[in-house]
Amino acid sequence: MAVNPKTLYDIPLFGDMDADALGKISSLMNYMKVQEGEVLTQKGQGAHTFYVVLSGNFLISFNEDRAFTLHEKGQIMGWSSVVTPFRYTGTAVALTRGEVLCLSAEAFRELLTGDARISDLLMKKIYAIFSERMPYFSGTKRAADS
Amino acid sequence: MLGLKAISAQNGWEYALLGVSIVFTGLVLLALVLSQLHKLLRLWENRSSIGQLVKERWKSESAVTDQETTKSEPSSDLIESRRQYQMLVERIGEPFALPRLLRLAEKSGLHRPHATINELIQADIILPDDNGYYTWKP
Repeated sequence: MAVNPKTLYDIPLFGDMDADALGKISSLMNYMKVQEGEVLTQKGQGAHTFYVVLSGNFLISFNEDRAFTLHEKGQIMGWSSVVTPFRYTGTAVALTRGEVLCLSAEAFRELLTGDARISDLLMKKIYAIFSERMPYFSGTKRAADS
Repeated sequence: MLGLKAISAQNGWEYALLGVSIVFTGLVLLALVLSQLHKLLRLWENRSSIGQLVKERWKSESAVTDQETTKSEPSSDLIESRRQYQMLVERIGEPFALPRLLRLAEKSGLHRPHATINELIQADIILPDDNGYYTWKP
């Protein structure tokens, strides 16, 4: 089912975008219902999909079993789908039933390479999230804090 | 007088029926008690938490405006989950890895481990330690 651009209005990742950009992105997205215990991304596997949380609760685990949980609308999973080497760095599992928006990695990358303005806005935010989460998957969380 | 006539004459059939009824009723009562015994044992094991819960409820009823107290009341399911997961955490030590706790809960055959762990996180019983691991709020 196609995603209504209005769905993206209150998602921080798309906060600075105009209606045209939101229309383009939403046309590539799909709604997906997730079940309790469903695995969305598997660490080390090819990153085929980018996810945006609409509802539900998720656990993302990394090397050495470091983990964090997502509970808020607009949080993302699968940023590796737009960052080389395009392999998931973590395993994301749904703790409860929920709903996510999904965007295929291929379509996402095509959108980013085809529209510099969207690419600039999105990649800035994705890199900020990447930096925030890097200590978890690189295992340097304690060192980064000290 | 002998045989069936003697039984009838001394109300033997009625006594037999009465005996069967008493035994049967006793067995039914025993079955009911045994089927509910686990609830009584759970109540006994959680008597301290339940006492606290009753106190909290009493407080929240007497102070209607204190909404926070009402909100923090744990459900009986959460009390039971808390007990079960606390035992698992004691086994793996703190700080603990959430995926490890999840795997252990699945292995132990606990009911809906994903949702329960989420519930414990939301209730601030399982807390992140900011290093990617978690601690248990005593």
